[in-house]
Parts: sequence; C-alpha cells; structure tokens
Amino acid sequence: MRKTFLSIVTMFGLLCLSLFYWQVCADIQNHPANPRYYQMFKEDRGVIFDRHGVPLAASASDGSVYARNYSTPSLSHVVGYFHQRYGMTGLERRYHEDLSQGRSLITTLDLDVQKVAEKALAGRQGAIVAIKPTTGEILALVSSPGIDGNALDGNWSSYLDDERSPFLNRATHGLYPPGSVVKPLVYGAALGEGLVERSQTWQDQGSLVLGNRTISNYGGRAHGSITIDQALAVSSNVVFAQLAISLGDRLLEMFRRFNLGIEVGFDLQNLGGFLPSGVASDYDAAQMGIGQGELLVTPLQMATVASTIANGGAMMRPYVVQEVRGGLKMRQITRPQITSQVLPPSHASALQEAMILAAREGTARTSRPSSLDYGGKTGTAQTGPGGDHAWFIGFAPTERPRVAIAVLVEHGGSGSQMAVPIGVTVMEAALGIDQ
Amino acid sequence: MFRTLYRTWFEFAGWLFCLSWWLFWLQRQICWWQPLVLWVSFMVLFFLTKQLGYDPGALPFVAILVLTGWVFLTRLNPTWATQQFWGALVACAAYVGGLWGCRRRFAHPLVWAGAALALLLATALFGQSAGGARAWITLFGLRFQPVELARIFLVFYLAQYFTEGRAWWELVLILGAFFLLLAWQRDLGPALLVFFVFWWMSLYWKFTWPKLFVYIACTVLGFISAYLWFPHLRSRAMAWLWPWDYLDSKGYQVLQGLFALRSGGLVGQGLGAGFAHVIPNVHTDYLFAVIGEEFGLLGTFSLLVVYLALAFWAVRLLHVVEEKRVQMIGLGLTLLLHVQVFLVVGGILRLVPFTGMTLPLVSFGSTSLVSQFAMLGMVAGLGGKRGGD
Repeated sequence: MRKTFLSIVTMFGLLCLSLFYWQVCADIQNHPANPRYYQMFKEDRGVIFDRHGVPLAASASDGSVYARNYSTPSLSHVVGYFHQRYGMTGLERRYHEDLSQGRSLITTLDLDVQKVAEKALAGRQGAIVAIKPTTGEILALVSSPGIDGNALDGNWSSYLDDERSPFLNRATHGLYPPGSVVKPLVYGAALGEGLVERSQTWQDQGSLVLGNRTISNYGGRAHGSITIDQALAVSSNVVFAQLAISLGDRLLEMFRRFNLGIEVGFDLQNLGGFLPSGVASDYDAAQMGIGQGELLVTPLQMATVASTIANGGAMMRPYVVQEVRGGLKMRQITRPQITSQVLPPSHASALQEAMILAAREGTARTSRPSSLDYGGKTGTAQTGPGGDHAWFIGFAPTERPRVAIAVLVEHGGSGSQMAVPIGVTVMEAALGIDQ
Repeated sequence: MFRTLYRTWFEFAGWLFCLSWWLFWLQRQICWWQPLVLWVSFMVLFFLTKQLGYDPGALPFVAILVLTGWVFLTRLNPTWATQQFWGALVACAAYVGGLWGCRRRFAHPLVWAGAALALLLATALFGQSAGGARAWITLFGLRFQPVELARIFLVFYLAQYFTEGRAWWELVLILGAFFLLLAWQRDLGPALLVFFVFWWMSLYWKFTWPKLFVYIACTVLGFISAYLWFPHLRSRAMAWLWPWDYLDSKGYQVLQGLFALRSGGLVGQGLGAGFAHVIPNVHTDYLFAVIGEEFGLLGTFSLLVVYLALAFWAVRLLHVVEEKRVQMIGLGLTLLLHVQVFLVVGGILRLVPFTGMTLPLVSFGSTSLVSQFAMLGMVAGLGGKRGGD
C-alpha cells in the first residue's frame, strides 16, 4: 500500500512537472491560433499622453470593439502602432504589459513640436530628434516618411511597396556618415589633449595634400588665417583634418565617449552605428576628422551629442516615457540620469561658443529671418549616388539651452540650405511652447 | 473529537464563504443557496459517517473539489451548475448507499462481470451518441452513462479474480468482451482506465518483471491497433502527437487547452477573467484548463494536492484492512478515481492521449459524480469501523 501511494505521488509529480512547463515556461502565448492574442487588440487599453496631457494614442469603442487612434501620423515611429493584423511596435510594444492593464503612459513628447517637425520635413526622407539637454527628455522624434497608424489597413501594401522604406525609423535605425557635424567632437578632443589654443591661428589654403590624395574645403574655398572657433564656424576641412591627424586614435576615444558606435540606452530599440577600431593612416584620420570615413551614426546619437554640448558636457540618458500610472500598481516615474561627464564644462562652453559663432556668422546661419538665438553646426555628408545628406545639430537659446536638436535630410544637399531652416523652425516651436 | 470537527468545518466554511463571495461579486444572478445546501449535505454526511463509526476524512476534500467544480460551472454557465447541484445531492445518497451496501454481501464474481457486460451491451444496443461516443442511455427520462457503473462492477470482479485465483481464460474473455464493447461504442477513455487499473491491481497482487513487460507491450500494441483500425481513435492519437499540424481541426481542443493553461501562468487571470470558454466541451472535458487559466499554477497544484490527500486517506484506511478481497476492491476503486485524474490532466497536458473523461468530482456530469461518490462511500465502508477519536 505504501508503494501504491508512492506510485500515485510519482504520477502526480509528473503532472506537476508538466503543468509547470505548460503554465509557466512554454512559449505559446503569441501563437496565431491563440484567440487571447487577438482578443487584446479588441480591448480597451491605456492612453499614451504627450507632456502636456494631450492624448497621442487612445482607444475608442465602436460599441463592441475598441480600436486605437493616433493623433498624428509621424508618431508611428516613436509611439508605434497596435493593430490586430500587423502587431505592435514602438512604445505600444515596449509598454504593452502596462498598457494592456489600463495603465497610461505620460511621455516627454510635445505634440506641437512633433507636428511642426513632421511638417518641416515636408515629406522628405529624413529624421529629426529634439531633446531637452538638461534632462534628456525627447521632445520630438520624427522619421519621414512615416506611416499612419490610423490607416494601416488601407495603406499597408503601399507601405510595403514604397521604395523609401517608411517602416524604417531613421532616427534610431538610420545609419549615416556624419560629415562636418562631428567637427565639434574633434575640437573637444583637441582641447582635451591640449593640442589647440583658442587664440592660436591656423592657415587654411583651401586644401591639404596627404601623399597622393587631397582633402579640400567645401566648394574649395580658402579661409586664410583663422582661429579654431572660426574654423568650426566656416567648417574648415583643412584645419580639422590636421587636428584629426595629430589626434589619431585619441579622436576615436572621444567618439566612443560620446557613445558613437554604441547603442543609446533608450526606451526604444536603436542601432549603435559603426565606429572603426583604429585609424590606419593619416588620410584615414583626416577623413574621420571631417566625418567622411567609415564612421556611421544615427540621428538620435547626434542629438545626444548636441544635447551633451549644450548641457555643459554632461551626457543625459535620453528618455521618452516620463511616467507610467494608473491601475493597481505604483506610479513609475523616470528620473533624469547622467550617463557620464563627457567633456569638462569649460571645454563644452568653448564648443558652444564656436557653434554660436557658426550660427551667427558661419555655415549654420539661417537663410530666413529669425529672432532665435542659437548655436549649431551643419554637415554635408558625401554619399556617392543620390546626392549629399544634409545635417544640422544645434541648441537654443545660447544662454542655458533648453532644446538641442539633430536634423538629417537624406540627399538634401547642403546642410546650410536644407537642414538649418528646419532645425531653426523646430527649435522655435520647442521654445515657444516650452517658455 | 469535537475540536477536530470544529477545525475542519471552520476551515471548510471559510472556503465556502470565499468562493460564494467571489461569485457573488462576479455574477449577480448567483444561486447562493446551492453551495449552502451542498455544504449542509456534506456536513450531514460527515456526521453520519462519523456516527456510524466509519472514517469521514474524505468528505472535506470531496467538498472542496465539488464546490470548486460548482464555482467554475457557475462561472461558465449557471444552468450547468444547477444541474451539477442536483447531481451532487443524488451523489450524497449514493455515498450513503456505498457506505452501507458495500460490506453486506459479495455476490459471485461472474455476477458482477455479467452485470458490467450487460450494461455495456445495453448501451451499445440502445445507447445515444454524444461527443463522438455512444455512451448514453435514457431511462424514465433520465440520461446516464452506464459505463460509470460498469467499471465499478468490473473492479469487484477483478478483486475477486485475484483473491480467489480464478482461471485466466475467464479473465481474458471478460476483459476482451469489455474492451470490444467499449470499442464498439467508440469510448476510448473507460477502456484505457480499466486497463490501467487492471494492470496496477495485478502488479499489486503479485509483482513480476515479465508481467510488467507484457502489460507495456499490450499497451503499445493496443495503441497501434487502435490507431490502425479505429478512425475515431486515430484522429485522437493524431491530436495527441501532432496537434500543431491540425490547429483548426483535430488538435484544436488540445491546443486551446494549452493556451488557456499558459495564459494562467503562476497565479492565474482571476476568476471569470479567463478566455477558456472557447474550448469545445469545456464543462465536461476541460474544466481543469479553465481552473488553470483563472487560478494559475497555484490553483492547479492545490487541486492535485487535494486529490493526493484523498488518495492518502484511502490508502491509509485500506492499509490496515486484513481481508485481502476487501483491500483489493478498495484499491481498485481508489485507482479508478486517481488514474482517471491522471488520464484527464495528463490528456490535457499531452502526456497521454486525450480520452474525453470527466475530472472526478469537479467536471460537469451527474453520472460520474454519483458513481464517484458511491465509490468513496464504499472505500470508507471497506475501511471498516474505527474506534473513537
């Protein structure tokens, strides 16, 4: 009888083991044959708000079934979408657990800035990321072309066929050569290594011969005798190529400190880009110094670069979800967090001054009248076929910056003509709302 | 003695109160008096068993199981719960019948075997089909499953077969006829159950390795021949082995059960919050999956622990019984219940092919409830009178 009982216990032990597997371990929840998976798309769900409490994504019922509504199409790359047939992306996916329990997200996004940025790109392929430098809050994140989360059913096949890849989040997953927008980093590295004095003058004859190859300024212009600040303002390739050659591998070290080549710790998935492990020759170093080498970056990374410079060299971790609240659980609040002090504050302010000079007198001047007092740096990244990519990174206002930005327009041509006006418009919107 | 009683019933009343409250909160149209009446009847049974000098230890566990079943049936469909309620009341009478009747006299083993076969034959000839098997008989307007009764009779026969050392060809004939009749009705579950119980009783009576190998070989051969010759059983086997290949057809029920269990996770979705009502025949075959989804791993483990406690109660009782025949009957009845739990839960978990039997004492089904109460009454009766507490 004892053995009988033990056998029954063994039998039940087998059931318990199997139960443990099927109830806790098995990975079958999202199987297409599971009706629960589809049920969640028909149920009410938490709201995603912008920083002022305007709903970005909310569920509405048609009497029997709930569906998701999005405030503006460009949100599909940051807020994402949530659809029975096409699944979920972005914050909808990342915070699915909370949202499905009726909890709400309060994001750091500003719907007005987001809309202005979306409009400023005017359908061109590109990306804009606006950050609050002191905290790392993302105010706007636009990737264009976007997809309309409200019209997935009708447009899906055209999105799939679209050669401009609307599904790609260019802000987090687009990899681009940075061009001249890396020059502030070269400047910062040179200051750190004591290779440059701000009063020192440099001779710029318009080109620099390295063996049998030549590095030329944009348009072949010779700027003559200039300080380093002026060199940044006019974006002198000759001066920065020379600095990069003297820095060598130490330049890569500075890039690494700015998180280039490394994924940004962020609420959304993103790519780390590509940073070579070393420079093989002077020519390689010179190319790196003007952002034309093998280096590849995302707009999000360049936005954090601008934000770090604007924040006195302290890099803040970017974030887009300010708060998760509602339901039975505790409120979950994101606190601003310093990733690292990348530059000493004095070097950061030197960089700021050089960028302000660029915005007042140099390449980052805006072609349209604006009262905005800002600093910035343009870039025109040569890419071969299709035309150059236009870059702009900047911050505003010049005293205690409250917004930093990165703008990229694919094949947009000159950074000064294409990217600067867009950046200025978005920064104006951000400050106008934020003041 | 009174302290024990007080404690047991205090705990039990707490259980009942919690369940009723949950349900009241969940479904306003709850028939609150049903669990109350059930509770009172179980209490009466408890005192009656005690008063008659038998061990009433099974009743708190039975009460937990029956009331859990009732709660989940109410959650699914209050009509089922009401039907189950009346079934449980009849079952209480069956318990008393089992308690009183089991030791009165033992008829000749062939009488039991004949009765079992006659019941099956009647079902095969006059029965009605439901759920793929022709297992129902209607008598005086009441529908019931004779096989539930037939397998108890067969256990009586088997116990006496071993203790009296009857001729093996007689056993082969009777078991063969039993299985053939069940195959004719296309009812795989009871056949498998009775086969395993026979196997277990035989090994308990006298354990030898060759016997074990013969039984294992028989099981494998049985499966293969069932697979080859019975299309109904073949589709069950395919649902067992390759459910993912037959998502929408044969494998649907099995997979929906697994999805339900997985969605329960550790602590469950909460009573009424599950999605298990999509499972076909959920109230009879798959109530365990509903419990798994809504009470989680904690709930299913607890349920299995209650069954184990019931087994422990029976084994402890039968352990001291001296008369071998009585012990074998008691063992057979206990095994009928617990092997059925294994086959049902194991079937849901794909450990064994799913056989479409009820989860004893929990699932919807009056006939099985009545027969299981009778069995427990018999086990209590076979355990014999005990001294005072």
